[in-house]
Amino acid sequence: MEVFKADVAIVGAGGTGLRAAIAVAEADPSLKVALVSKVYPMRSHTVAAEGGAAGVVQDHDSLEYHFNDTVGGGDWLCDQDVVEYFVAHCTEELTQLEHWGCPWSRKPDGHINVRAFGGMKIERTWFAADTSGFHMLHTLFQTSIKYPSIKRFDEYFCVDLVVEDGRCQGVVVIEVATGRLTFIQAKAVIMATGGAGRVFRENTNGGIVTGDGMALAYRHGVPLRDLEFMQYHPTCMPGTGLLFTEACRGEGGFLLNKDGYRFLQDYGLGPAEDKPRNKYMELGPRDRISQAIWHEEKKGRTISTPYGEVVHLDLRHLGERKLRERLPLIYELAEEYMDIDPAHSPIPVRPGIHYTMGGIYAKLNTETPLPGLYAAGECAGNGVHGANRLGSNSLVDIIVFGKLAGVEAAKFSKSTQFSNPAALETQAKAVQERAIGLVTKTGGKEKHSVLRREMGKSMENGCGIYRTAAEMQATCDKLGELRERYKNLDVEDKSNVWNNDWLGALEVGYLLQVAEVVAHSALNRKESRGAHQRLDGYEQRDDANYLKHTLAYCTGDGPPRIEYQDVVITKSKPGTRAYGAAGDKAEQERKKEAGHG
Amino acid sequence: MADTTKTIEIEVLRYRPEQDKEPFFQTYTVPFEDDWSVLQGLQYIKDDLDGTLSFRWSCRMAICGSCGMMIDGKPRLACRTFLRHYHPNKLRVGPLEHFPIERDLVVVVEDFIRKLESIKPYIIPKEPRKLEQGEYLQTPAQLEQFRQFSGCINCMLCYAACPQYGLDSKFTGPGVLALMHRYNADSRDGGRGERMALGHSEEGFWGCTAVTYCSEVCPKDVDPANAINQNKMGSAIDYFLRFVAPRGAGK
Amino acid sequence: MSAQMDKRRPYVRSMNSWWKRDPFFVRYMVMEATSVLVALYAVILLVGLLRLSQGEAAFNGWLGALESGPSILLHVLILVVFLYHLWSWFKVMPKTLPMIFVNGKKLPADTITYTGVLLAVVVNLIVLIILV
Repeated sequence: MEVFKADVAIVGAGGTGLRAAIAVAEADPSLKVALVSKVYPMRSHTVAAEGGAAGVVQDHDSLEYHFNDTVGGGDWLCDQDVVEYFVAHCTEELTQLEHWGCPWSRKPDGHINVRAFGGMKIERTWFAADTSGFHMLHTLFQTSIKYPSIKRFDEYFCVDLVVEDGRCQGVVVIEVATGRLTFIQAKAVIMATGGAGRVFRENTNGGIVTGDGMALAYRHGVPLRDLEFMQYHPTCMPGTGLLFTEACRGEGGFLLNKDGYRFLQDYGLGPAEDKPRNKYMELGPRDRISQAIWHEEKKGRTISTPYGEVVHLDLRHLGERKLRERLPLIYELAEEYMDIDPAHSPIPVRPGIHYTMGGIYAKLNTETPLPGLYAAGECAGNGVHGANRLGSNSLVDIIVFGKLAGVEAAKFSKSTQFSNPAALETQAKAVQERAIGLVTKTGGKEKHSVLRREMGKSMENGCGIYRTAAEMQATCDKLGELRERYKNLDVEDKSNVWNNDWLGALEVGYLLQVAEVVAHSALNRKESRGAHQRLDGYEQRDDANYLKHTLAYCTGDGPPRIEYQDVVITKSKPGTRAYGAAGDKAEQERKKEAGHG
Repeated sequence: MADTTKTIEIEVLRYRPEQDKEPFFQTYTVPFEDDWSVLQGLQYIKDDLDGTLSFRWSCRMAICGSCGMMIDGKPRLACRTFLRHYHPNKLRVGPLEHFPIERDLVVVVEDFIRKLESIKPYIIPKEPRKLEQGEYLQTPAQLEQFRQFSGCINCMLCYAACPQYGLDSKFTGPGVLALMHRYNADSRDGGRGERMALGHSEEGFWGCTAVTYCSEVCPKDVDPANAINQNKMGSAIDYFLRFVAPRGAGK
Repeated sequence: MSAQMDKRRPYVRSMNSWWKRDPFFVRYMVMEATSVLVALYAVILLVGLLRLSQGEAAFNGWLGALESGPSILLHVLILVVFLYHLWSWFKVMPKTLPMIFVNGKKLPADTITYTGVLLAVVVNLIVLIILV
């Protein structure tokens, strides 16, 4: 088995992984970085982010506002020390990307332009038309080429971590082109593998978003935190789930029900006005808007299509010129995929799974409970997004904490030595046997594509926008069944070169494990908060019992063990989460209270 | 969901290096919906008919650049090409032309990546700036000078459309040369001189014979043919400037 | 699966008759081929020049040869090819120019092509008028 020695190994080369790699290279060019990715870096799912990235730039804006928006948007499940660090570093990181060439959209005077986004009090979303993630990813990838200490492992699939002496000491990877396994021995490992949206059927995510890093960390005893909070994005393409960015509404788009009525005013987000107003109506947070669509469906006020009930995203009043300039990708998606000209017809949309708020438990400094293992970006559950992430916070999450992970892992790697490779290699060989065994084993009956479909459907039934104990229990049972059936897998393709039947089987293994954590975490949380909403007697937020993070631990071959952990509250006491006029009122009351106190 | 009564025949070029001496077409019959892309057709094959078929894909929305392939002889993104446009005829799918076939619809892209890495595709600052100084000022007009060329998703359809690259893979090729121009044309950048050593060469802009099919097939309107051919002019001017101003010419 | 030998065996396809694969390539080859007739016409003119230097009789002989049936046929062919060459030349032209912005909007490729063609037609007409 081939062995490669690196000071820092990074799994995943999306925005987080690339930013981390650059941070290590800049911290100390003598540190060898192994940057592992199962796809070429520019294919990573950061590429699909559309709307933009939040960073305070306007004079009438402040870090405190960004903090309050994020914490309130997260329904007070955010760790506030983490959020404070986060908002303080967003603008600096976005400026860094600007210096590296990111083609941010500009104002006539040459300064960065910002747009409005859901749940944000002031416009602070930097954007590159509606392909912000694409431009950030390509800028980071191309910039990373500058650093000779970064050794990329493009199209290498991570099968396991190697943990020895209670410390993470490397990863085992498959070279996709040959099927050969390599052990990357590392003093520190950063997980940057992105989310797990693919546990659901209808989602905005790329096929690669399969929770690999989460499952791997989990198997090695690292808890997964707050995974019950899966974000439904309200405006997705029916059927495929492809995303129509929130920037559609940031630019002034409306959401209409079948009567052409802006229904959000019925759900505490009004009053409706012609011009977009921050934190009102269509600029409310994603969880609330998705929930409102669900209610409209129950009231029979949605439009029926072969792909389920939809509402209309109406951009007509913005005019073709503005749409072509600000939302060209959206225009293209509507025209090419749906045969709709958004300048002349409203776009049918429905909520789809978009983002994983929880993830690998990591502290503010990105370290996990397993020494030597760091986690950042969507795969991490560092508590920055709480129970609901605000749009345009994730593209800054990846660079702020990606960089921090690089800095911290570099520091750690310098304080430690490579241990004797013999013991590690024995372990790595066992990993290799297991991975290869999945293909060579005979007599299996199950197809992983079938398990994947059943999982997605079951997750949608039990862990959708609104949840009940009975439905969640059914999903937990189903996932337990799938876990058993997975043992009886048959991988059809037995070859070595580019065998993605094999990789697909490994991914389904990851997905099933993460799905089980999502479902059990959800079942155990007996309250409604952010993206976790229940209909069975737990319709309210319950701060007395559940102002807590969920920690899910692997128990081997069984469902997770659930524990809870306090939320870090520093300066924002949990309050009423309200938007629209009610939000203004709530804020005034908070101010008054603060004045008295 | 609507009933899936319609079917289409998809002929896929198969090549498994461990068992096939050379590529051959295999036909699959795929039931489909009107809004299905070719990618969805292939996914159906992979999931339900033949798990051994290999192809790259991810985002499904024409931005990650993974699923470029030859569809009825044209380089296209499978996720943005729709089966209904071919029905009731059958449809032929093969790996991107001009690249070696790794397996089935997967091509070897290492050469492309090496080229991309070779042109210094990053800002070499004209005037270094500290983070505390904030962003570089860049007017919308300055942004327009390169914005179009920064839209390349590296899908490599332009390489499959470029016979010059097919005939001699030493040619840097459309996508990467467009990227070189993207940085050269950026008001923040001062690295043109460093990059143009390659740009001036036979492997650079002069390797292009202006077939211009690259721009025709580009799914993102990057227009690499324009990036390349306008540089022939620049390259020629640089060449003559050398005689007039020996130092710093073309910088 | 256990073999550590490299199982990769990339298959390189032949480029034989690549230009027949796509109508776009065929058009490109036709465009390139038109330059042969353009060159042929230049040769004809050069021969005329040579004849002129050899005296009036020689030049008249050349003129006479031009009036023959096959020659006229050839010239009609050359004219057609020239027109196609003109069109395809200006069709490629937008690719060779730096982007031109008018009032902040990029000048469309078609505008450049049609302006070029129009200009060429006008110039030719003027030359024709002067000559006749």
